[in-house]
Amino acid sequence: MRIKKEKISTEYKMKYSIWYHVLPFLSIGLLIAVWYLGSSSNPMIFPTPNTVLRRMIELSQNKLSGYTLIGHMGVSLLRVAVSLGLAIIIGVPLGVLIGWSRGVRATIGAVFECIRPIPMLAWIPLMVMWFGIGEKSKIIMIFMAALMPIVVNSYTGIKMISPLYLDVGKMFNASTEWQLLRSIVLPAALPTIFAGIRNATSMALMVVLAAEMIAARAGLGFLINRGMEVFDVSLVMSGMVAIGVTGALVAVLTNFIERKLCPWNRSI
Amino acid sequence: MADKVKIKVDHLTKRFGDLLVLDDISFEVKKGEFICVVGPTGCGKTTFLNLLTRIYQPSSGELYIDEEPADPKKHNISFAFQEPSAMPWLTVEENLEFGLKIKKIPKEERKKRVDRILKLLGMENLRNAYPKQLSVSEEQRVIIGRAFSTYPDLLLMDEPYGQMDIKMRFYLEDEVLKLWKEFGSTVIFITHNIEEAIYLAERVLILSNKPAKIKENLEINLSRPRDVTSEEFIELRKYVTDQIKWW
Ligand SMILES: Nc1ncnc2c1ncn2[C@@H]1O[C@H](COP(=O)(O)OP(=O)(O)OP(=O)(O)O)[C@@H](O)[C@H]1O
Ligand SMILES: [Mg+2]
Repeated sequence: MRIKKEKISTEYKMKYSIWYHVLPFLSIGLLIAVWYLGSSSNPMIFPTPNTVLRRMIELSQNKLSGYTLIGHMGVSLLRVAVSLGLAIIIGVPLGVLIGWSRGVRATIGAVFECIRPIPMLAWIPLMVMWFGIGEKSKIIMIFMAALMPIVVNSYTGIKMISPLYLDVGKMFNASTEWQLLRSIVLPAALPTIFAGIRNATSMALMVVLAAEMIAARAGLGFLINRGMEVFDVSLVMSGMVAIGVTGALVAVLTNFIERKLCPWNRSI
Repeated sequence: MADKVKIKVDHLTKRFGDLLVLDDISFEVKKGEFICVVGPTGCGKTTFLNLLTRIYQPSSGELYIDEEPADPKKHNISFAFQEPSAMPWLTVEENLEFGLKIKKIPKEERKKRVDRILKLLGMENLRNAYPKQLSVSEEQRVIIGRAFSTYPDLLLMDEPYGQMDIKMRFYLEDEVLKLWKEFGSTVIFITHNIEEAIYLAERVLILSNKPAKIKENLEINLSRPRDVTSEEFIELRKYVTDQIKWW
């Protein structure tokens, strides 16, 4: 029976949950230890964690190209936020429409299927040629990257809905498409749509770096690129650590929003 | 609950292409009656329900509710599905309210009904739980409660307990009887469990093999609560079993 299984697994989880909290710290500790060992041989090529940390503190206090480290993080995050916001506003309704209406699926949906296999990074040269290397072009690149997973997941989420739920709606005589859409289709698809948004977020983080490496005067991608140009390994690694931290923060935020938005989907 | 006819099935026939599934079925259901329909597998029971909900159109014949041709837009027909069909994104309370919201029943009335059903189901402490957190039988209770929440003219149940074990079945059978008495709904309950049919029904319709005709229309005059081990009960059960086996 389902009940029993769940009970067992909750007990099991409780018993071992402490381990699951401790293990991540252990493995991170291990990573840093390996980093130390590896870096001791040639600090110019592979600086120690200490050096990188000191460099990060220094970068947070003194501006480089007009921004502190936090400032560069902010610039990258702002680009991601704007593009991601746009992608959500446009992508979710578009995907829902493609999933819901056969007409839209046959037209716009087909175009999407066609474009989808082209990896995002392949678009960048075209974007640069069309829109230049300014802020607008970066926003468009990140937007495009974020749009795909959002549209695809929204569309899949809608298509995967069990017809049973729609039958329930029809049984209660839900009269309009809008009623079905609002009270059944959207909530049923929300977890899948949200998974798409999460994918889009990591895509956006990736593409913002790529865009900033090509041409930018600020942002984490710029920092890394600058470090590479002057062979400043600790600057490159500072940028990398900052990206890792940014990514983790964004993931925490997305998880939080998801839990607020889809409380039923949280595992017990 | 006088002897007013609630549902009249008049020479109902259904074909799928050349395949005759329901052959000239006629019967009446009184207001507030509890009917069980039994029949061999594949004889057309689900088809019959789908005709009542107007998912299918009859090939000939007609179905009347309150002397008008059945129309889901006008009549309040409710359906308890066989599969667990509680909306996973709604809490127990919101699931019970779901049909009422779609039917645009005012908020105050919605709350009153939901509270009443929660109380009848004894699920008040689970009102904020999500279906995922419920056991199978609890979820099925929510579905049955939801079906009753709109105070349906006609409640159709297609083997709602088909996948449950005996203990749960007994429990849920009593549950549905309780709701039926409380709300005075007219219920048509499909099952291929004969014991279940005799335990629940005021009248059992026995369908023949395909093409299904009504083979027998059997009043069950046992007092409630019924004892499945009593002699009369066992007698009836044997009788109905034979009716289904031989034609
Ligand atoms: N949409 C359809 N198109 C064609 N044939 C159908 C359709 N629906 C049902 N049938 C046929 O009608 C007959 C009766 O099916 P139905 O599902 O109503 O039987 P049932 O009594 O509900 O069976 P069970 O006991 O397995 O639930 C079957 O032979 C089936 O193949
Ligand atoms: Mg069936």
